[in-house]
Amino acid sequence: MASVDVTHPARRPFTGRRVHLGDVLLQTVAALASAGATALVLLIAWKVFDGARPSISRFGLSFVWHAVWNPVVGREAYGAGSFLFGTAITSFFALLFATPLAIGIALFLTELAPRAVRGPVTALVETLAAVPSVVIGLWGILVLGPALRSYIEKWLHAAFGFIPLFGSPSAAGASLFTAIVVLAIMILPIVSSISRELFLGVPRELKEGALALGTTRWEMIRGVVFPYARGGIAAALILGLGRAMGEAIAVTQVVGGGVFVHWNLFSQGDTLASKIASEYQGATSNLDQASLVYLGAILLVLSLVANVTAQWIVRRVARRHGVARGGHA
Amino acid sequence: MSAHGLTGPSLRLDRLPRRRRVNRVMEMLAWLAAAIAVAILGVVIWSVASKGASELNLDLLTKPPIPFSFTNAPQGLSNAFAGTLVIVALATAMALPIGILVAIYLNEFAPPPVRAGLGLALDVLAGVPAIVVGIFVYGLLVVGGGGQSGVKGAFALATLMLPFVARTTAEVLGLVPDSLREASLGLGVPRWRTTLSIVLPRAAGGILTGTVLAVARVAGETAPLLFTSSLVGPQTSWNPLHALQTVPLAIFELSESADPKDHARAWAAALVLLLFILFASLTARWLATRTARKLAGR
Amino acid sequence: MPKLGTSIRIASAVAAAALLAVAVAGTAAAKPAHRATTINGAGSSLVAPALAIWGPKYASQTDVTVNYSSVGSGAGIAAITAKSVDFGASDAPLNPDQAAACGDCVQIPWALSATVPTYNIPGVHSGQLKLTGPVLADIFLGKITKWNDPSIKAINKGTSLPGLAITTAHRSDGSGDTYAFTDYLSKVSKTWASQVGSATAVNWPGGVGGKGNSGVAAVIASTPGSIGYISVAYVKQNKLNWARMKNAAGNYTLATGPAIEAAAQTVTKVPTDNKMSIVNPPKSAKFKNAWPLSTFTYVIVHTSTPQAPALRKFIFWALTPKSQHLISNSFLVFAPIPKLVLVAAEKTLNKVHS
Repeated sequence: MASVDVTHPARRPFTGRRVHLGDVLLQTVAALASAGATALVLLIAWKVFDGARPSISRFGLSFVWHAVWNPVVGREAYGAGSFLFGTAITSFFALLFATPLAIGIALFLTELAPRAVRGPVTALVETLAAVPSVVIGLWGILVLGPALRSYIEKWLHAAFGFIPLFGSPSAAGASLFTAIVVLAIMILPIVSSISRELFLGVPRELKEGALALGTTRWEMIRGVVFPYARGGIAAALILGLGRAMGEAIAVTQVVGGGVFVHWNLFSQGDTLASKIASEYQGATSNLDQASLVYLGAILLVLSLVANVTAQWIVRRVARRHGVARGGHA
Repeated sequence: MSAHGLTGPSLRLDRLPRRRRVNRVMEMLAWLAAAIAVAILGVVIWSVASKGASELNLDLLTKPPIPFSFTNAPQGLSNAFAGTLVIVALATAMALPIGILVAIYLNEFAPPPVRAGLGLALDVLAGVPAIVVGIFVYGLLVVGGGGQSGVKGAFALATLMLPFVARTTAEVLGLVPDSLREASLGLGVPRWRTTLSIVLPRAAGGILTGTVLAVARVAGETAPLLFTSSLVGPQTSWNPLHALQTVPLAIFELSESADPKDHARAWAAALVLLLFILFASLTARWLATRTARKLAGR
Repeated sequence: MPKLGTSIRIASAVAAAALLAVAVAGTAAAKPAHRATTINGAGSSLVAPALAIWGPKYASQTDVTVNYSSVGSGAGIAAITAKSVDFGASDAPLNPDQAAACGDCVQIPWALSATVPTYNIPGVHSGQLKLTGPVLADIFLGKITKWNDPSIKAINKGTSLPGLAITTAHRSDGSGDTYAFTDYLSKVSKTWASQVGSATAVNWPGGVGGKGNSGVAAVIASTPGSIGYISVAYVKQNKLNWARMKNAAGNYTLATGPAIEAAAQTVTKVPTDNKMSIVNPPKSAKFKNAWPLSTFTYVIVHTSTPQAPALRKFIFWALTPKSQHLISNSFLVFAPIPKLVLVAAEKTLNKVHS
């Protein structure tokens, strides 16, 4: 948000003597719209928790870590445990894969790339950001899944099979691993464009000063660029994490479905968002539906924490840089 | 601000060859990372472009789908394209005025504590996952409210667009120089006319940019429509009072089919959707450069 | 900006604009002639092929358009309960909680078909694989993990089975096929009954989920070593391999029309709520060729509904022998519903009023 001098007479809230009906009208209508927007947020939170109430009152807080999902009448038991695990493991590994690539591309674009290459590569990253998630999911089902299943999973299992993560590969293209790759591809543009802007924003004097001291390019990046951009990159990562956690459609297309807590990335699984997407329409009972909304409530809380944290980091960093810039001559 | 690790001892000249080698390795890693990322991005976009282009034909836009067809009769996704046009247009009509009003309040009228609170509310709204918005609108409007409809789907999409439109509009309003407002008020023009007739038109380009970007993003949203406008038949309809098929949902359904002909139509629809989104983003960027020039220069 | 990039961008912008113009023009032209009435339905993917034939045929004879959305039986029940549609379609009858939630809903059996174990085993062609109920249950319980397991080889002498791992496929959405399949497994395997049970959605011990019959078909078609359960019409449409099942009489049958019709003879008296289960027909001679995974499929409507006249006409039409025979061919493999059930169906339908 641009910083605004609120005490300026042009911006002061309406208090004046000349009472124009139009002024009152505009301010009222605009205030109502803003109140409506705020109310919308509260309404969403309320509706979600209200919808989950039958499940919350039945299962309480233990729902969150209980890894079970049985809709059969007479033995109903619902819990978010396996989906929370799925969300955690897919988002974490997606971030792990995407971050070095994203930072690498950002560094490449700001420091290393020849002028001619910068435009097309930037355009490529922006185009990927524009691809809707359902299309990435389509690509995941028809192109990525079979390729991973036929080549990569087998190779990874052969080379690293002693790690529980790379257990026996699945014959189906759908797996947690496919979902991880899909999510990594989706968050790559976000993290890389934010990083690129941060790197571009590092003051030239700092960079040139370091180089004048005789550092190599890498030492300059490590010593000046990274520390300067550190906070912003943290925010970018958390934003990417929030995106990965909330993605429902692309994940449900490629993740395979399952109520398990397996460490094997090549097995099928489900995340909070993808479980809601696949089951909500056909929920077998009120308790089933309320439990799915409970999953939504957990997802909402996680996303909000991620987003508000990212915003807070951005504000802290902006303040620090503002002070720093003001402090130096 | 201290630079880390750039103290005297670590910059020793006798360590230069080693430092140069480390630098070389790091640069190669950065090139490698970039190459991998570009390769992946290239493969995705190439897949959509090539598979979509080979299946693209006019039937896609003009003919309705034939469910469970055993023949090779020409079929398309006309119902999905019509539905997307209607629903996205409605969503924009809902989100744009409210977004502008919120931005006006945020920028022109709100006292600091209210501004902080409203800003937080908008940030929180922007952070709500699309599927949770779907659950929300389903519980609010669909259940016990007469079922699904295009209007309810549009409302869900408008909820996603609102924080984005409000924030970008507020930013552009903030960029309009205060001297303009001062001059207008000084001439005796009341606040409301200043805002509506002078400030807003100056910001119009930026507002349009933000709107177009919001439209681009929301045109590809699937999750909220799953709850609000998914029980649809193959007939093409422009009536938003009933549930309408949309392109992202159509792609979603076709992607999980076993029929290669369905996959072909999904690729083609994906390409059209992607082209539309790219077109919108390009338009937005062109508008943004124009607005920036207008607000900065002159 | 590089010139090439700009021209590509301009070209794609022009292309997009042109497509948009064509889309608007074309979709406006594609709008059908004005119809007097539309009835909307949603649900079972098993009955979707039947409605794909019935809909256009009915529209050609009357002024009514039937709009159907194949989203799975579970979603059909939810939709009609929420009154999002005029009729819901489900292969699974309403359980007591669902019946209570739906209020004045009635379920009317209007078609008869079956679900089929479908597989993708390299070297084993369609109809070659033989399975029994207990073996099928053990496969889906995860107890049998490879195709060359002794228990499978024992009933498939003469077929060479590879040492490929078995991947099971099931429905991720609420499904009437799941209901019929798990109903059958519960009856032939005590372990299944106690461990999993039967419903439109269950806690599967493993395997890959697919959305709708077409989703499961997609999983099976693309996964070597997989086995799942699909409505017979989708097996035919996607040219997949179907298995022979050993029925209670001891014969290995295929899911053909006559076999399904034979299974439907289990019904001697239709209960008042029309809830019938015809899986695993008993041992007697009458059922020696019966297909053990057959199922009725129901249309669910509110007794009091504004669309009652249009719905009654359509469903009566669907129940006529002519309409039943329209879908009873080797392609779609529905079987005509027995006279006894027809009578009960029409009796229930008469209760529907505006």
